[in-house]
Amino acid sequence: MNLKFSIFSVALTLLVLTSCSKWSDEKRDLYQPPAVVVSPISDAAPLHGGITGTMLAGKTYTIDGDVTIKAGDTVFVQPGAHINIKNQAGLFVKGSLISLGSKDAPVWFTVDSLQKLKNDRPNQDPTKDPAFAGGWVGIYCDTSCYQLILKWTHIEFAGNPLTADQGSLVHQKSGTAFSILFQNPNGIFVMEDSWLYGGVDDPIRISNGRICFMRNTFEKGGAHGGDCLNAKGGTVGDMAYNLFVGMATNGQKASNKGIPAGASQTNIRMWNNTFVHCGYRQIQIGRGGDIDFEEGAKGIAYNNLIVNCKFGIRIVSNPAADTANISYGYNYSYGDSLAVVNQIYPTNASGSGGWTRPQSTDIPAYTAFLPAGYKYGDSYDGTPAIQKNNPLFVNFPLPVPNNIPLYGIQAVANYDFRLQVNSPAIGKGYINFSPLAAVPIDPKYGATEITLPGRDIGAFQFNGTGNQHHP
Amino acid sequence: MRHAYPNTLKLLTLILTSFIASATFSQAVLKGKITDAKTGEALAGATVQLDGSHMSVLTNLDGTYLFKQVKPGNYELKVSYEGYKKAEDINIVLQPIATLVRNVALEQNITELSEVNITTAAVSGSDRSARQIEKNAAPIVSVLSAQTMQLLPDLTVGNSLQRISGVSVQRSGSGEARHAIIRGMDQRYNNTLVNGVKVSSPDPRYRSLPLDLFPSEILERLEVVKSGLPSIEGDFVGGSVNMVMKSAPEKFMLQANASTGFSTLFSSSRPFQAYSHSAANAQSPAERMGSSYNATASDFPKGTLNYTNKNLPFNTTAGFTIGGRTHDNKLGVLTSASYQNIYRGDNNTFLMPNAQPQILNLSGGGHLDNQAVISDLYLRNYSTQTARIAVHNKIDYVFNNRNSIALYNMYVHMNEFETRNTYDSVYLNKLTDNLMRSRTLKQSIYNGTLRGDHTLSDVFGLNWTGTYSIAKGAQPDWAEYDYQGANNSYIAQNMTRIWQHNKNQDLAGYLNFLYRPEIAGSKVEFSLGGMYRHRTRDNYQIDYKLTPVTVGGVPQSWTDFNSATYQFKSADAGIESKNINTSNTYTSHENVGAGYLQAKFTLLQKLEVIGGARAEHTLQNYATIAPATSVNRSGTVSYTDLLPSAILRYALTSDQNIRFSYFRSIIRPDFYQIVPTEDIGEEFNIKGNPYLKHTKADNIDLKYEIFPGGSAQFSVGAFYKAIYDPIELGITRDGGPSAQYLTPLNFGTARDYGIEAVFSKYFGMFGVSANYTYTKSKITTTKQYYYKDDVKGATFKTVNQTRPMQGTSPSIGNLSLLYKNPHIGLDLQLAFVYVGERISIVSPYYNLDYWQAPQELLSFSFEKRFCKKFSLYGKVNNLTNQPVRRYIKQSPQQSAAVTLPDQIYSNKTVVGKDIYNMDLQTGVRYKF
Repeated sequence: MNLKFSIFSVALTLLVLTSCSKWSDEKRDLYQPPAVVVSPISDAAPLHGGITGTMLAGKTYTIDGDVTIKAGDTVFVQPGAHINIKNQAGLFVKGSLISLGSKDAPVWFTVDSLQKLKNDRPNQDPTKDPAFAGGWVGIYCDTSCYQLILKWTHIEFAGNPLTADQGSLVHQKSGTAFSILFQNPNGIFVMEDSWLYGGVDDPIRISNGRICFMRNTFEKGGAHGGDCLNAKGGTVGDMAYNLFVGMATNGQKASNKGIPAGASQTNIRMWNNTFVHCGYRQIQIGRGGDIDFEEGAKGIAYNNLIVNCKFGIRIVSNPAADTANISYGYNYSYGDSLAVVNQIYPTNASGSGGWTRPQSTDIPAYTAFLPAGYKYGDSYDGTPAIQKNNPLFVNFPLPVPNNIPLYGIQAVANYDFRLQVNSPAIGKGYINFSPLAAVPIDPKYGATEITLPGRDIGAFQFNGTGNQHHP
Repeated sequence: MRHAYPNTLKLLTLILTSFIASATFSQAVLKGKITDAKTGEALAGATVQLDGSHMSVLTNLDGTYLFKQVKPGNYELKVSYEGYKKAEDINIVLQPIATLVRNVALEQNITELSEVNITTAAVSGSDRSARQIEKNAAPIVSVLSAQTMQLLPDLTVGNSLQRISGVSVQRSGSGEARHAIIRGMDQRYNNTLVNGVKVSSPDPRYRSLPLDLFPSEILERLEVVKSGLPSIEGDFVGGSVNMVMKSAPEKFMLQANASTGFSTLFSSSRPFQAYSHSAANAQSPAERMGSSYNATASDFPKGTLNYTNKNLPFNTTAGFTIGGRTHDNKLGVLTSASYQNIYRGDNNTFLMPNAQPQILNLSGGGHLDNQAVISDLYLRNYSTQTARIAVHNKIDYVFNNRNSIALYNMYVHMNEFETRNTYDSVYLNKLTDNLMRSRTLKQSIYNGTLRGDHTLSDVFGLNWTGTYSIAKGAQPDWAEYDYQGANNSYIAQNMTRIWQHNKNQDLAGYLNFLYRPEIAGSKVEFSLGGMYRHRTRDNYQIDYKLTPVTVGGVPQSWTDFNSATYQFKSADAGIESKNINTSNTYTSHENVGAGYLQAKFTLLQKLEVIGGARAEHTLQNYATIAPATSVNRSGTVSYTDLLPSAILRYALTSDQNIRFSYFRSIIRPDFYQIVPTEDIGEEFNIKGNPYLKHTKADNIDLKYEIFPGGSAQFSVGAFYKAIYDPIELGITRDGGPSAQYLTPLNFGTARDYGIEAVFSKYFGMFGVSANYTYTKSKITTTKQYYYKDDVKGATFKTVNQTRPMQGTSPSIGNLSLLYKNPHIGLDLQLAFVYVGERISIVSPYYNLDYWQAPQELLSFSFEKRFCKKFSLYGKVNNLTNQPVRRYIKQSPQQSAAVTLPDQIYSNKTVVGKDIYNMDLQTGVRYKF
């Protein structure tokens, strides 16, 4: 099957149907050479050491020791491949890794023994939860890695701290505990329709790169701290339609810290994301719970849905984000308790360094609960906002029952974060801006689809577009 | 604090005048001057005895003596002075109410000093001998005698060094003078010797010895050699610091001293915070239990981080020296021991700029690029206890006037226990961090040296030296915890425990042949020799990071440290391989072989020429425990250098010289600079560079000097140095933010030049000693510049910046005022040091270097003899309570929201201030 061709023909058909003036368009059916068949990777024996080639559809692979993809090599993973990692091994990518699952046949990078212990009922004790155990090291890309493409791919139980030997493969110190690291300002990191479950420190650290995170689901990210998508100096791209449940700190963070000479300023557009119960496992004070713009970063944050997170959107003032070049608004906040609504606009007193300016387009309207004479960073009494504007998820109890503390919700489980028909979040979005589209559009080597800004707040559009992970 | 000055001076004047006894009239007066018969220079401190009267005096600093109230009659005058033949049987007839003047010239008892004094100097430890060495030594050398050091308020060699012309000191984190900066060149450009021989350093990074390890009282003299010769090792540019230990005196000697004192910094409101020294494990859990052992929180006992307060801890020092010669003066033995236990403190304020510069938008539009913005205010209290033990022993045996051997043994040991209490408030934020850190540093050096001198015939001679040294440094259980809060509720943060140790060993042999024929009626001395040294170094470091146990799903609230519970990040994170600092764990070797040929001859009777060439071959190798896949995990570097040098000394008169010196020298990179180690830095991690080239330098000196006699002198000189491939830190990118490193790189050619002037003179009992050095140095290195790019937005570019080298102060000066009254046995000294501004830390960012503000240090000391063999002494350091400030040369970023404290400049941002306060020490000395 030639995917490119199918998309082309579907588009053509649509054009044909919608516009009679297009009858005169030429039809083309040109020969495409068959895709290069990269040598298949055998599943006969457990993998370790250098690998290259293709992990085949439907096969189960075992990785029992550190695996390296050397510079210039590419590993493709076909839909439905299941990779079970043992012995706290890691995947070290100096070349490229392209994992192409599908909706029906996702790819799995997991630890089978821990998967059996998975427990996503509320109120799990994180100290005993296998999600935070670090069953394997994760995917560490070196500075030479050009492409990390993950589509319809599950990454689970990663984040085990690096040994010194492992660290030396990718310029990291021993003890580093990310689940995924990307660090090439000219490289491409695409994650679409995928899942990341568990982790120890930052689940995904982007030291720099051109990125696109679309329609993913993140659960239980970070044991005692860590930001789920932590973008540092020299990262450019989009983060949209992602669902975050139970992150230790932020779901999405942008900072220009550590930008290499000559790289482009960190610039991230974040729209239509949903954040649920994030920010409660971070041991450091005032660190955020959904979106942070920090030190010198610029970008956009529109149409995000923030439910019971420890802090609202945080624009950091010292070291300052590039405040002149950050636009935000149309963000929707909901809080069960006074503690939550009192930090919709993070206060100075909370240690979060409040700089976030209330926007007239924010939901609920700030005029409903901020006192006259309020200045950004001030403490305020948010009582009028408590439990107001329930976004009406298809299946998620709001307010959360009393026997579940705010930190007790850490995973999606059986919940459904789509919006009910009468949700006040429907139709409130802002769509007059465009993605940065920093990566190519390509079914294999880029983003399949960069979903444009949506009318409905959050990751799930009532018309079925946006995030596709739902019952 | 500046106004405290006049008061202090008044006080001193009072002390001074009260000590000076007034004289009464007498029947007869005898006075005169004692001089060197050959040079005519005045001899200070000579004993003048008037037999028959039981009267005895010591000569003043200008060589004069005076007997008042003498009964008229016949007497015999005796004059003795160490190193000179006694003058006896001088008959004196004193008439009533008359003044008789009688000058005496003494004959020297010694032979000429050799160029580099490794062997016994006949006249040891006196100021006069120091001046003689400066005058007669071939290279340009500055000498501080034991006599001078004894009166100075400095307890360590590190502190004494700042009194020497052209030298300033670089202090350790806890404020101890640790390394020398000579003529604007920091420790990397200098070498450090003990008795003329290189010994291993226990420093984890530098080859240079930590000079606060050596109590100054075990020294006979401290030399700083500023020009090279073929016969001495050629690895210095600024200077070579040589600590010459005491050697056996001709007469039996016994000296002992003990003192006590305190720092005025400590009080019940600012106590000294002490922790249990026995609580720290010498070895890491991995070393104790094996590399596969999975450490848990219980392997990190909390004792190291529990503190008891001492309101006013007392310092103690004790010293003991015994020596003499027996068996017809053939066997000489000297043993010297010193003990010091010192409590010091530092109240430090640190305005920490954010790790990366910022772009500041101006309210009126536009913006400022690359601005340091203060992010944190740290208030740190340091409490440091330093215990030093030093034992030094020298045995020499003179078989006959042609053969002698000498054996030296030295052991120095220092334990430093430092508590650091940090209160960190984050700007624009209600957040505070509270950190407690305990750091134990143990350093020791043993050196054993055997040397022989042989005169084979009238024209042939040889000497040889064999030496072994071992130096150990360790930081066992470096421990820090942290808790963070806002609104008085606190959350436990990470705890860090680090073990680091290193061991260095040197084995070296030296052999020199001398041939002194007479050519065309003048003596020519040829010397030919060589040396070989094998040096090894091991380093080990492991860093454990523990996080607080979270209870259920919530972070752990903080009550106190002993209630806090910790764990590793994940189940097996306690094993060695997840914590060891791989690239900082290495073994390395350095083999240096050298040979030289040198000739010394005199032209036209007045021009002495010494010159020749030296060849040095260096081979350095290292092996880290990084995995086989790591680039540069081990390596070997070798090179050979030819180092020509020449010294011309033209004697204008018997007490005036003009010197010219040229030498080529090299600086070998330190092991940590070439081993691809990775060390945690403030802004960036620091990583070694195996591609580093060694530094070469051309050094030129021109000097005029006059030694009118005694300890008087005047000299003025100029120096110029061109330094090729100097090594400085620069930024390299090796990955993401965590993979951008500061790494040592070679940067073109640096230049260092200046003038140096020294003056000392005594007027009767009063003396003035002063020196001044002006230095300018220039180096161009790459820096990062954060700016707004039209296309890329806020990003960095790499730019060049020319600046002084780290450590160069344009002006350094010393001024000492002395009063020495040998009659009543009183010495007083007021010593003042000025050090101009200098770069203390080179920033990786353009124009954001940390500068140390100009510094003035005033101290006072006295010694008063009583009961003939005893004396009472006292030392007061830092009389004016001078703080030490550091700044960045950028206007302070004041705003309505933030008021930066302690800003006293309009165009500089003060980022750091250390307050040490005054310290006092008083004690008793016994001299047999």
